Amino acid sequence: MNAQYLLLECRRIMRSGRFLIFSMVMPAVLFVLLVGMYGGNNSTYEDGSSVAAAMMVSMGAFGAMSAALSTGARVAVERGSGWQRQLRLTPMSPASYLYTKLIVAMLVAIPSIALVSILGATVEGVTLSAGGWLMATAGLWLGAIPFAALGLLIGLSIPADSLPSVMGLSSMVLGMLGGMWIPAQIAPDWLSAIMKATPSYWFTQLGQSALYDNKNLLTAIAVLAAYTVAAGLLSARRFVTSAQRA
Amino acid sequence: MTKTAHTNADGAAVRLTGLRKSFGPVQAVAGVDLHIAPGEVVALLGPNGAGKSTTVDMLLGLSNPDAGDVRIFGHGPRKAIGDGLVGAMLQDAALLDDATVAESVALVAALHRKPMPVAEALAAAGVTDLAARRCSKLSGGQKQRVRFAMALVADPDLLVLDEPTVAMDVETRRDFWQTMHKTRRTVLFATHYLDEAEQFADRVVLMREGRVIADGSVADIRAHVTGRRLTAVVDAPDTARLAALPGVTDVEVRGNAITLNCADSDLAVRALLTADATARDIEITAMSLEDAFLALTTEGATR
Repeated sequence: MNAQYLLLECRRIMRSGRFLIFSMVMPAVLFVLLVGMYGGNNSTYEDGSSVAAAMMVSMGAFGAMSAALSTGARVAVERGSGWQRQLRLTPMSPASYLYTKLIVAMLVAIPSIALVSILGATVEGVTLSAGGWLMATAGLWLGAIPFAALGLLIGLSIPADSLPSVMGLSSMVLGMLGGMWIPAQIAPDWLSAIMKATPSYWFTQLGQSALYDNKNLLTAIAVLAAYTVAAGLLSARRFVTSAQRA
Repeated sequence: MTKTAHTNADGAAVRLTGLRKSFGPVQAVAGVDLHIAPGEVVALLGPNGAGKSTTVDMLLGLSNPDAGDVRIFGHGPRKAIGDGLVGAMLQDAALLDDATVAESVALVAALHRKPMPVAEALAAAGVTDLAARRCSKLSGGQKQRVRFAMALVADPDLLVLDEPTVAMDVETRRDFWQTMHKTRRTVLFATHYLDEAEQFADRVVLMREGRVIADGSVADIRAHVTGRRLTAVVDAPDTARLAALPGVTDVEVRGNAITLNCADSDLAVRALLTADATARDIEITAMSLEDAFLALTTEGATR
């Protein structure tokens, strides 16, 4: 791992203003809008739980997921342009390259969680226990790791020009099937079976552990870890085979 | 100060042995052996599809040979690159559009253990005044010079350059080669420009259909096409009669203009003037490297 490379990558992300604002501001705006639609700060679901709190972790998760996913997938551009070839002419190992990309993706996931949480605590009046806040912030952030790895895998697998459409589609589908937009409870059985196969469903479960004692927490951690390992291994393999072909 | 810190056991900077590579049914490289001594500047020439780029890729460890061996100062390519012994400038290796020139060169420097100062590499490549510019705002020739700075900043013993002066204008090309010569390193460059090979290479390696078909100094290569070329204008040229003249090996007729390839041009010009009173505008020239190149790369193509 090379510190200067990581620094340059961070600077490059900061320069892509539109991309950064989109991944940071969109979930925050959606959060405020959705809470408003459901009747404001103090509204509750039928079981008495807070709508604002549930929306906060859902949109925090959605923001972190899309940010990690799309930042990881930016490697498609470097593959297409030949920058990866240039880097292969330096002593940097392929593993360092992939780790740096993962770290950058995880850094980009921070602002959306932070912004949604700050809005939740101030504007929307969400109250959580200390452990709840920890889970809604740090827990959600760590839960975004598999999406950074999945983004990397997508970026190593698709051509750069189809990147925007593939990324838009995959965050939307993962958001829907993950129950970030509509609660998984109201889905019919066949759909809920599909939802449970997605990493985003378990990511949502992780987020909900911030709100109540969720018996699915350990399963969620296990599934997300499994997705991370699988996506990581497949990415490493793709990276090596694409090097051979180049 | 030619750098000689690292050498193969046999003293070679580069040693390729029995290198082969196929893509499906196409044999891109069909057995290449090449030995480059430290300090040599070698031009790799050949028509498109001759296997130059594939050879360069294998030399740099960007693609694995089907058979054969690559040694750079005694090491495999990955190890040699890891040790900073190799700087390379590839045709299809891009720059980062959203990084500046200085950032790009500094990054490559940071990835190497013993780089030269970034400012020195920028100056040597003539891009100091472009340091703060984003790479997306560079012209084609400027990009090439930035790539050269990136190859140079590792302070390598061997420079591998694939078509380095493509997209450069005439003046920039001359500056580039002047810089090149000042660095006094082992250099292998692939080029389409024969005059570059002629002026700047100690040695020329000619490839065709995946094989090395000629290897030697520019003079050696030229000697492959012996003789001189005689051009003249005659009224009503008769190909058969011209070919029968003493000293003539080959005849080409275009309207009244004739071109005679001659083993002995002195003999041929006397015979021509005697045989045809209309012969005029006579010129006799030595065969160029281009003639040698054409002769070597096309001969046998129809066999």
